[in-house]
Amino acid sequence: MANLRRVSQVVFLLAFFFLLTRTQYLGKDEIGYPVKIFLDLDPLFAGLLLLSSYSIKPILLLSLITVAVSLLFGRFFCGWFCPLGTLHNAAGKVAGRPKKTEHGLYTRNLRWKYVILVVVVFSGLFSMSLLGVLDPLSLTVRSFATGIGPAFEFLTRSAFDGLYARAPWWISRVSETVYGFLRQYVLAFNQPRFLQGALLGTVFIVLLALNLSRSRFWCRYICPLGALLAVFSKASLVRLRLSNACGKCGKCVGVCPTGASPAMGDGWRKAECIFCWNCVEACPERAASFGFAPPTKKEGRTDLSRRAFLWSAGAGLLTVPLLRISPALTKPHPRLIRPPGALSEKEFLERCVKCSECMKVCLTNGLQPTLLEAGLEGVWSPVLVPRMGYCEYSCTLCGQICPTGAIKKLPVEEKRKTVIGLAFINKNRCLPHAFNVNCIVCEEHCPTPQKAIVFEEISKIGPDGKEITLKLPVVVPELCIGCGICEYKCPVSDEPAIYVTNINESRSPERSLLLTPKK
Amino acid sequence: MAGVFLAGLRAPLTSAAALASTGRGGPAKEVSHPTFVVAHGPAVERNLRSALDALGGISRFVAKGDIVVVKPNIGWDRVPEQAANTDPKLVYSVIEMCYEAGAKKVKVFDKSCDDPRRCYVRSGIADSARKAGAEVKFVDERNFRQVDMKGAVLNKWPVYSEVLDCDKIINVPVAKHHGMSRLTMSIKNWMGVIGDPRGKLHQQMDLSLADLARFFKPTLTVLDATRILVANGPQGGNLKDVRTLNTLVVGTDQVAIDSYGTTLFGLKGADLGYLVAAAKVRIGQIDLKKVRFSSIEVT
Repeated sequence: MANLRRVSQVVFLLAFFFLLTRTQYLGKDEIGYPVKIFLDLDPLFAGLLLLSSYSIKPILLLSLITVAVSLLFGRFFCGWFCPLGTLHNAAGKVAGRPKKTEHGLYTRNLRWKYVILVVVVFSGLFSMSLLGVLDPLSLTVRSFATGIGPAFEFLTRSAFDGLYARAPWWISRVSETVYGFLRQYVLAFNQPRFLQGALLGTVFIVLLALNLSRSRFWCRYICPLGALLAVFSKASLVRLRLSNACGKCGKCVGVCPTGASPAMGDGWRKAECIFCWNCVEACPERAASFGFAPPTKKEGRTDLSRRAFLWSAGAGLLTVPLLRISPALTKPHPRLIRPPGALSEKEFLERCVKCSECMKVCLTNGLQPTLLEAGLEGVWSPVLVPRMGYCEYSCTLCGQICPTGAIKKLPVEEKRKTVIGLAFINKNRCLPHAFNVNCIVCEEHCPTPQKAIVFEEISKIGPDGKEITLKLPVVVPELCIGCGICEYKCPVSDEPAIYVTNINESRSPERSLLLTPKK
Repeated sequence: MAGVFLAGLRAPLTSAAALASTGRGGPAKEVSHPTFVVAHGPAVERNLRSALDALGGISRFVAKGDIVVVKPNIGWDRVPEQAANTDPKLVYSVIEMCYEAGAKKVKVFDKSCDDPRRCYVRSGIADSARKAGAEVKFVDERNFRQVDMKGAVLNKWPVYSEVLDCDKIINVPVAKHHGMSRLTMSIKNWMGVIGDPRGKLHQQMDLSLADLARFFKPTLTVLDATRILVANGPQGGNLKDVRTLNTLVVGTDQVAIDSYGTTLFGLKGADLGYLVAAAKVRIGQIDLKKVRFSSIEVT
């Protein structure tokens, strides 16, 4: 069974990576793969969505599968399915530390994950912010989409580009064939670059490195989803059984990755057990087995006292006012350009789980994780950075992929009319305005059928005394949708002469700029 | 680079019979051909075939074993009806005819302005070109070579190496409105095979485009006026700005072809600064009175 578990882990991990590589435009307007199914299976998202916004996306009902499995059988999700758990297993193998028997025993420190769960749930009644940072699936997608994945791509691309540039033709011919295959089926279309890729990648690697201290450090001490499933598993039916042949040799304890004390100490802890079957495999007497059995007294205990629960709940609730007194909500950062279809900022933060799926799928690499532009509450939520990439006029991928509906799925006609900001011309830097040189790049790329950038054609006497005719670009605020392609393509490439800010965005009617009579 | 065809073709017509020449068997050396042919009719493929017949057949331009680059406009994330890109059916027919003439390989690409993946798909060109048997690839940023264009403003500039290394180039632009150059047709289509910072060309639009016309010498130019975009170019989007003309202008002198193209918009060649600039340095003939061309009605 332990081997079956390993197969299951590898299969799901590969599926996870495969779907992550498919999280991009593949020639169709609609995403053809169930790319976010791992997130859809997360009951924390579904539950908190229900509690915080009284709404739920039908697809999130998939998480009921996870709940049902945990209720009936226990934390199989953690041991057999979770990609982060599998990566922890792998990291533990790589770390190769000799196993100490006491690491397989329950300690009171394992309670911390319940504390985290309670904090997350109580803050999550109002904002998904903390949960997004700490949820294992969101964490994994985010780290791979913005950090580890792009770093891997960079390595691959550098290697193949090096061969292409320097190797003899018969080598580069082979390498180019391989590279062509990788580019078509594995890599992103362009090298992805994310403002905080290095930070997010490093955080992830540090979390994996904690395996050096304890195996599955994250799962033991931190994981709020694991904690939730542990609570669900209280009445589950599958249990560890020890026969009389058990000689308390402790081998099973030594191989237990989560501190579930299979045969020593207080006895087996179902809440900590992830049903990895290591103990059964390790038992020299074949005394341990899993099966249906009557409950024992201590198996389901989470050891979280009522006092600790109340303190944690209070802490969770307190995070909400602390986050909300940030001026980010009342005086938003002018460059906080949210993707089209994003709900109003408050509702958006109630739903956004910082999974980065929208950033991964963004055609132009324009969607980036925020740092503090949206306040502490909005850390790592998506912001369009037009200098990195613009919002492609007929693309609706980010709305299709958002697991919680923080970004609405818009029909393409509606998307094209959704205003996410407004372009402004910096006349001190714009070539025709500042230097009497014609340019028009912004106008040429403006995608609205009736252009939102038009020309004011003027004739004037230049500094050299000659008459010149100039086409001065002017933004038409009623037509501009703030897509940012003008800023992206502006040839004044260091600090663009045209730039977008989020005033006039359609999701905040109170921030519309101009009073215009009805047409 | 096959520049030979531009020279020598401007010889005056001696016999009207040349117009009727439909020999597709090989170069008809004894007759001289018109500089370009305007073909008008409901079916784009027949328009192309008729025009090429009048020009002496495709085999005059493409030889057995040639590697041919067919360069359509795939600049924008727009569908064919919006007339921002070359008609995919025309691209299909051009490729088909290259293979009929014995081409070894036909390559199709463009350095798109919007996201290339979307442009290739939504223009319909990737699909139709692949169906016709062409190799359709995205422009690979590593494949640009610094070239001295020896132009008035363009000197060292990156040019796509597949254009430099092929045997024949067939330029297949679409005729449409443009905010700076007024119209974009054959000559401006070369902006799709040069590297960045190509946006800079707008600062000296007329001289830059004349430089491009001097440097790129297509074997054949097929100006697509099946649908033209008369406003809000070069990417349009509004069907009200599209006119259906069902016309192709096929020939060898890109300045003359673009000069004729202006008439489709109610303008004349002299209205476009870059055509004037190109004609001034004798890249081609802007004055249609001095060009021999024919117009044919195709049923």
